[in-house]
Amino acid sequence: MKTFTVAAAALLAGTASVASAQSDTDATTPLPVIGTVPALCTGGTLAGGDAFDLGVLIDVNTGYLRTDLSTEPKVLTGSFCSARSTISVVATPISAQNFTATPPNGFSRQVDYTATASGWTPTAAVYNTADATHPAATQQRDAAFTGDITVSIGDFSTVGGNALRMVADPSYRGMVTVTLAVAD
Amino acid sequence: MKRCFISLAALAMVPGVAYAQSDTDQQSVTLQGNVASLCVLGAPSQSSIDLGQLVATSGTRVGRIAAIGDQHVTLPGSFCNFAGTALTVSSDAMLAADSSAVQPGFARAVNYTSSVDNWASTPPTVTTAATAGGGTPNATGTGGVEPLPKVADLDLSLSSFTVPSDALLVAGDYAGSVTITLGPAVSD
Repeated sequence: MKTFTVAAAALLAGTASVASAQSDTDATTPLPVIGTVPALCTGGTLAGGDAFDLGVLIDVNTGYLRTDLSTEPKVLTGSFCSARSTISVVATPISAQNFTATPPNGFSRQVDYTATASGWTPTAAVYNTADATHPAATQQRDAAFTGDITVSIGDFSTVGGNALRMVADPSYRGMVTVTLAVAD
Repeated sequence: MKRCFISLAALAMVPGVAYAQSDTDQQSVTLQGNVASLCVLGAPSQSSIDLGQLVATSGTRVGRIAAIGDQHVTLPGSFCNFAGTALTVSSDAMLAADSSAVQPGFARAVNYTSSVDNWASTPPTVTTAATAGGGTPNATGTGGVEPLPKVADLDLSLSSFTVPSDALLVAGDYAGSVTITLGPAVSD
């Protein structure tokens, strides 16, 4: 009998050692859930139409460019970039669309101006069509951002000098382009 | 030669002793052992859940979370060999790797609902509730008690992917995790 008892004890001891290697609880290693969001920029929606209408450009009594030209700003709503971004503004002079030849002495067919995009960066992006270089035309935002961008034009001047008169033309046009881009 | 003969005669007397006992003898041997309480989860059918692109890139919801279908992972052959067990699921919301503070209108967290079916009648279901900035990403839920030993193919499902306030998501890689635990139900 003693022999049997010893044998049983050995069996129990062996079983216990197996049990200790297992567990009544099991858990998975954390199962990763992953995804990506690309860097995106969208310019939003332009409120109030897509054109700055300056009306008559000249003082009809003198033929010179009006000194009181102005227009309401345009607002881009719902603009956003999901990453660090830049805002750039580029503008082209307001030019006679039909009178495309070189104007006679004393006349001009183009108007320079300054285009400004503000609200996106602490310092507004500014582009003056009269300038040769445009160091302030591109500004950087260091984080994802959403907000309205106000685009305005002003500081009008006659190309060639304000002593020139504007040639008559039913259509003068220029273009302001605002670009939001993911920064490198 | 004579000496050898006497030795054989002595050997012949040994069987004579056995004839003095009963013709049947019996001894009992007790066999003992035990079975440890075990719960074992099957290997997940996939090692990760890759949702790919998380946001819409065009249309009215550009930059906001896209419609993401339910995701399923199976843990085949999961078992507990004892009664009174329960599943627990612990989930961490998906957070952007960039932990910078988010600007108004943006979020860096994607919440979702995790559920594990095919165990007790009441599955563990939990929905993460991370904030836009990524705070409080973890949520844990425990299902009902399974009254019997059981073996089953567990079905982990992830669904209802949302962003706090339906905000725009900042760009980058996002990661969360789900941990499933199977073991004795904890009584209150």
